[in-house]
Amino acid sequence: MHLIQRMKIWKELRRLAHRAKEQPSPSTFVDLGQVYINLSLHDKAVRMAEDGLALFPKSVELRQLLDCARRGLRNRRAIEIRAKLARSSSPKLFRELALIQMDLGDSNALRATCQQWSLRFPDDAGSWLMLGQARLTSFYRDLAAREGREAVQCLERAVVMDPAEAQTRRLLSEVLYRIGAVCEAQKHLQVLREIDPSDQEVDQLLNHVATLTDAGDDLNVLLDEVESHGSLRNSSLQAALPVPCARRSITEVRAGLTRVSGIVGVQKAAFIRGSKAIVKGEIKSARDPFLRIVRVTAKAAHRFARRLEIGSASKTVVEGEHGRICICVFGEVLAAALCDDACDVEQVLSELQDLVAGALHAVKE
Amino acid sequence: MSQIHDAVTELRNAPGVKGAAVVTNDGLVAASSLSPDLNPDVISGLSSYLMMTTNRSLTEGGYGACSKVQLNATHGKAVFVQLDESFLVVLFDQFAEVAQAEHEVDETVMRIRRAAKLT
Repeated sequence: MHLIQRMKIWKELRRLAHRAKEQPSPSTFVDLGQVYINLSLHDKAVRMAEDGLALFPKSVELRQLLDCARRGLRNRRAIEIRAKLARSSSPKLFRELALIQMDLGDSNALRATCQQWSLRFPDDAGSWLMLGQARLTSFYRDLAAREGREAVQCLERAVVMDPAEAQTRRLLSEVLYRIGAVCEAQKHLQVLREIDPSDQEVDQLLNHVATLTDAGDDLNVLLDEVESHGSLRNSSLQAALPVPCARRSITEVRAGLTRVSGIVGVQKAAFIRGSKAIVKGEIKSARDPFLRIVRVTAKAAHRFARRLEIGSASKTVVEGEHGRICICVFGEVLAAALCDDACDVEQVLSELQDLVAGALHAVKE
Repeated sequence: MSQIHDAVTELRNAPGVKGAAVVTNDGLVAASSLSPDLNPDVISGLSSYLMMTTNRSLTEGGYGACSKVQLNATHGKAVFVQLDESFLVVLFDQFAEVAQAEHEVDETVMRIRRAAKLT
């Protein structure tokens, strides 16, 4: 790079660093981080994003910056590992490279790495496990029978090469019971229990699988059925467990709405997520115009803020002949209340904010 | 017209205010005083869209028209006050306390209304 160009960049960097210090806001941190990324200083960009997130933990832009910077770091690490592999290869290096490629979602590069790995170290089951994992991710995403078949073949090969490897059997048993081959899955789970009798997760899995109905052991037929139906026959253990959590979140939302409607002057309160709504107060049906007004206004406010590049509209208050409509948005959920002029708007907004933040947290859980 | 312009320019000096404009209901800028990074045409178009959409949904639902909209976003805040055939848009930076500038905003609204009556 030309010396004058370099000096200009450093001058700009100093100016942005000063701005981030004097006027800390997500945009000042993002601007500075972006320059670091352009200069391939991803580690500094990561630090900048982390500093920014410490001050503005809800900023979407800063999270995107952190993600982008981390991807850059991973890419750099992948280049370093490839260079090391060219000099002297080892299964450990291949595994590290494959994991990075899996994180980056680069399936073609991952396939090439696993191919090289199995050629150099034909007795190492790791390459087949990694390839099986990647295929399995694609299968769960697209539910394509071909991907499922290849995933099962890779994992079965890895099991034959290293029968004591628990992770391979775990992945294989999961895909088997989820497509309907319950008896086949149980065989692998029994082996897993023999390998480690103290593993409680295996016991939970065995109990979960025992409640499912076996659909046979012809994997080709079962995988084709999954592809044609567009859904897996059985849910995973994790998906079967969080039902009480979802119930709890609805209970919390109802309790939050009761608190909001209990504030003096609040006439109606609603919690909306997508097309579903929970209401409290003087709302008689789903056709109540209040719900439509809230949705339309929140959407228009969101569009206004986005197009004006001032982030996401989190709170909106509409005043008029009707009184005041307070709307709080967080992610994909929104809560709103209709109050009269005597009502404490700050208190209502604060309660609504707690409601949407809590609900979103519960959804993430 | 210059009185409206003066009122808007004075409001721009209030703490935390990044810009102010008087926009007609159909989206034309009548007067504005905005920081250089804000484009008056963009502000007028977006504000008019927000006010028209909100007003339409309110009247269709039988709630009557809106008189004021206050919006808080991640990196900024905005207040819209409905006038007769137009509305006042005030843009704040994210750290501004809108309540502190409420008096200035109300005063500007009064001045614009008075000036509009005279013309």
